[in-house]
Amino acid sequence: MAWKWLHRWLGLVAGTLALVLGITGTALSLDPLRNAWQTAPAAPGLSVATLAQQVQAQVPGLEEIRRLPSGMVVAFAFDGDQPQAWRIDPATGAPLGAYQPSMLPRWVKNLHRSWLAGDAGRIGSAVLALAMLGLSVTGLTLLLRRMGGWRQLAGTVRGTLAQRLHVLTGRVLLLVLALTSITALWLSATTFGLVPLDAGAEPDIASTASGGPDLAPGQLPLLQRLRVQDLRKLNLPAADDPQDAWQVSTSTGQGWVDRYGGQTLAWQAATPAQRVQDWALLLHTGDGAWAWALVLGATGLSIVLFWTTGLLLWWQARRLVPRIASNSPPAQADALVFVASEGGSTWAFAQALHAALVQAGRRVHSTGLEHFCVPPGVHHVFVLAATYGDGQPPAHAARALERIARTPAGAAQVAVLGFGDRQFPAYCAFADALAQALHARGWPELLPPERIHQQSPQEFARWGDALAQALGHGLALDYRPSLPPMSELTLLSRQDFAGGADGADAAGDPAVILRLGLPRAGRRLPRFAAGNLLAIVAPGTAVPRYYSLASGTVDGFAELCVRRRAGGLCSTFLHGLQPGDSVQAFVRPNPGFALAGGKTPVLLIGAGTGVAPLAGFIRGNARRRPMHLFYGTRARERDFFFGQELQDWQADGRLHSLHTAFSRTPGGGGHVQDALQRHAAQVGALLARGAHVRVCGSRAMARGVAQVLEALLAPLGLSLAQLKEHGRYAEDLF
Amino acid sequence: MFKPLLTTLAAACTLALPALAQARQATLSAQLKNYGGNGAYLAVYLVDAKGAYARTLWVAGGKAKYYKHLTDWNRLSAGDAKRLAGVTGASVGAGRTLTVTADLADALIDAGYEIRIDAAAEDMRDSPAEVRVPLSAANAGKAQAGKQYIQSFSYQLQ
Repeated sequence: MAWKWLHRWLGLVAGTLALVLGITGTALSLDPLRNAWQTAPAAPGLSVATLAQQVQAQVPGLEEIRRLPSGMVVAFAFDGDQPQAWRIDPATGAPLGAYQPSMLPRWVKNLHRSWLAGDAGRIGSAVLALAMLGLSVTGLTLLLRRMGGWRQLAGTVRGTLAQRLHVLTGRVLLLVLALTSITALWLSATTFGLVPLDAGAEPDIASTASGGPDLAPGQLPLLQRLRVQDLRKLNLPAADDPQDAWQVSTSTGQGWVDRYGGQTLAWQAATPAQRVQDWALLLHTGDGAWAWALVLGATGLSIVLFWTTGLLLWWQARRLVPRIASNSPPAQADALVFVASEGGSTWAFAQALHAALVQAGRRVHSTGLEHFCVPPGVHHVFVLAATYGDGQPPAHAARALERIARTPAGAAQVAVLGFGDRQFPAYCAFADALAQALHARGWPELLPPERIHQQSPQEFARWGDALAQALGHGLALDYRPSLPPMSELTLLSRQDFAGGADGADAAGDPAVILRLGLPRAGRRLPRFAAGNLLAIVAPGTAVPRYYSLASGTVDGFAELCVRRRAGGLCSTFLHGLQPGDSVQAFVRPNPGFALAGGKTPVLLIGAGTGVAPLAGFIRGNARRRPMHLFYGTRARERDFFFGQELQDWQADGRLHSLHTAFSRTPGGGGHVQDALQRHAAQVGALLARGAHVRVCGSRAMARGVAQVLEALLAPLGLSLAQLKEHGRYAEDLF
Repeated sequence: MFKPLLTTLAAACTLALPALAQARQATLSAQLKNYGGNGAYLAVYLVDAKGAYARTLWVAGGKAKYYKHLTDWNRLSAGDAKRLAGVTGASVGAGRTLTVTADLADALIDAGYEIRIDAAAEDMRDSPAEVRVPLSAANAGKAQAGKQYIQSFSYQLQ
C-alpha cells in the first residue's frame, strides 16, 4: 500500500513539475544530435601536436583548441580585437565554419537545471531528481508486483489502454529514468561542491626564457604523445606573457609545457571523481553518443506520457471512490461489507449491496477490507474483493489476509464475492485466498464463494438472487455502473436467422446480425477494433449489455450478432429495431482478447453468435495472416452466421481454413470441440508454431474446447495456463 | 615570494602609523558586454611589478568548481588560503555592471602594481587577463575595455 501511495503522490506532485524537466530535457537532447551531425571525427591516433600545428597555421591569433564530447574540434582565436570560435576539420586543421555552442536559446538549459532561479532553482531540480528516482524505485516495485516477479517481467501486459501504456513504457524506460536521476544528483553534488573534482591546487609553473623563440607545437614531446581523441582543451601560451606555458587537458589529466624548451613542467592526473563526472555528463546529456541522446530524448517525452496516463489512472480510481449513504457505526451494525478494490470499481457493487441491505431494514457498515474486524452483534459479513495483477491483493488490502488469519472466528455468517477478469491466469485468486482463510478459521458460510467476471452486472444480479434466498428476505440490488458518455448509432441493415423449430432450448431462439452506422454528427464513437465490446443501453434500463463487435472502425460500421433471449430486455429491444432506428451505445475495450499484430498463425474457435468477434478478426485480416476458424453452430440453414462472408474471405485469402460442425444436423460433425478433435494433427501443428488462440461462445463450449487443447498442448510441454500467461490464449464467454 | 614581505610591510605600517590616510577606499566598476551567455565569473586581483600575485580584490561567482576557468588567478592565488575571505559575490550577468569597493594601502598605489581581471562564462572561452590596468592615481577614473567580456572597467580612489 505504501508503495502505491508513495508512487501516486510523488507522481502527482513531483511528476507535474518534472514535466518541465522532461520537455526541456528532450529539447536539449537535440544538441548532441546536431553536434554529431556537424562533427568530422579525428583519425584515431592523431596527435595533439599535429592538430595544433595545423590549426595554428590556418587560424590567426589562435589561443585555445577544444575537443568537445561529441568529437567536434573548436578553435578559439582573437583576430585583432574580435574573439572568434571556429569548427575545425581535424584532418586538415582548416576552419569549417563558425561555432555555435547550442542551437537552443540559453533559457532552455537554465530552465532545465535551475528553473531560471539560480541556486534555489538548482536545489529544486536536485530535489525533483530525487523524486524521480523515488518514482522509478516505487514504479519498479509496483511493476514487479503487477507482473508477478522478475521472471514474468517480459510477459504480456494486460489492462486498459492507460494502464498498458503506463506499464509498457515503464518497463522500457524505467532504468533510463533512474539513471538520469542519479546522474542529475551527481551533477548537482559537484555543482554545489559536495564532491570536489579538482586534483588540488594547480602547480606554480613558468616557462624559463632561453633567449630563443617559442617552439612550434609540433615539436613538443607531451603534445606528440597525447592523442586528439583524449583531448579536452589545449591553451596556447599568451603572446604578452613571456613566462606563460602551454596547458593541455585530457581525459586522463592536465599538463603544462615550457614554451621555449618544450619540456613538461608538470602533470596532474585526473581524479577518480573527475572520471565519474565525465561519465555522468555523457550519460545525462548524451553529448558524444548520439544514439544515447535519442534514448534520452524519448525518456524526456516519456515523462509526459507517464504523467498523463498516471493522472488518468488516478482520476479513474478516484472517480469511483464511494460515498456510502447511511453507513452505520460498526458497533451498531448487524451486517458488515468489507471491500478490497484496486481501481475503485468494486465499491460500486458494495454500494448497491449496502443500499439493498439498508432497504431491507438492516443496519450496515461498509469499509475497506484492511479494517476487518467483526463485533459480536454482527450476523452477516460480506467480503467483496478484487484481484490485482497476478493474484495480488489490491494495495490497500495488502495485509488483510494476515489480519483475517489472526482473527478468531465469530458466529457471523460469511459470504465472499470475488471480482476479476478471466483473461488473467490468477482469476479472482485473492478472493479465493480470502474465502479459504475464512473457512480455515472456521467462519460459518452464508453462501459459497462466487466470482464476477469483468464487473458483469448480470452475474452480480444472479449472486443477489442467491443471497436473497439465503437471507430469507427480499433484496433489491440496484447496481448502477457509472456509464461513459454515449453515442447514437443508426441501424443500417439487419440479417435475420430464424433459429430452431424446437424452441425448447435457448440456442433455438431467433438471431440477427445488426449493422449499425457510425454517428456522423453528435458524439463520435471512439476507435474500436473487432473483439471490443459495444455496450447497448436499452430504453428504460440503466444497465448496459455488452456485445462483441464483428467489425472495427476501419470497416465504417459496427456489427453485432444477437440472439434473442426469452425475457431479455436488451436483446428483445435490438431484435425489434428496423433500419433507420437508433440505439444508445458506447465502446468498452476487451483487454487481452483483441488480437495484437504479428505473423504467427491464429486459431479462432467459436460457437453460435460467438463467431461474431472472430468474423471481425478475419474481416480485418488485410495482411493475410494465416487464420484458421473452427466454427460450430446448430444447422447450416438455420444459424450459420456470416456463412457467405466466410466463403468470400476464404476465397480472397483472409481466412486460411474453415472447419464447421453442425450439432443439430445428422452427420453434421457434432460440436466445435469435436471438429477440433478430428483435426487434432493440424491444430497441434498450429499450436507448435506458436499460434494465438481466441475462443468465443458459451462457457460449456469453452470447457470442451479447453479439454481438447490441453490434451494437444501436453505433448508440446505446454499448458493453457502458460498460453494465457503469454497472451496467446484468451476467451470471451457469455 | 612577495606575499610575506607585503604582509610584513603592511603589519609594520599598521604598527608605526596607526593614524588615518594609510589606506584608501577604491571603487572598482566593470560593465559587461552583451556577450550572449550565462553570468560571468570574474576575479579581480593585484599583481606586483614582477607579475607576482599580491592580493584578491573581488571574486564574482560562487561555485568553486568553476574557479579553474579563472585560469591565471586560480593558479597564481593557489597559495593564498584567504583569497576568498570576504570578497565573493554572485556572478555578473551579460550587460550588467559589477561595482565593488576595496581598501588599498597607500603603499600599493603608484608602486608598479597592476589590477587584473580574469573572466569566464559557461560554454564560452576562458579569458585570463581580460583586463590589465596599472594601479596609479593618474589612471583612476579612466575607462578601459576588456578583451572579451568587459565593455569598460574603471576605478576611483578616495
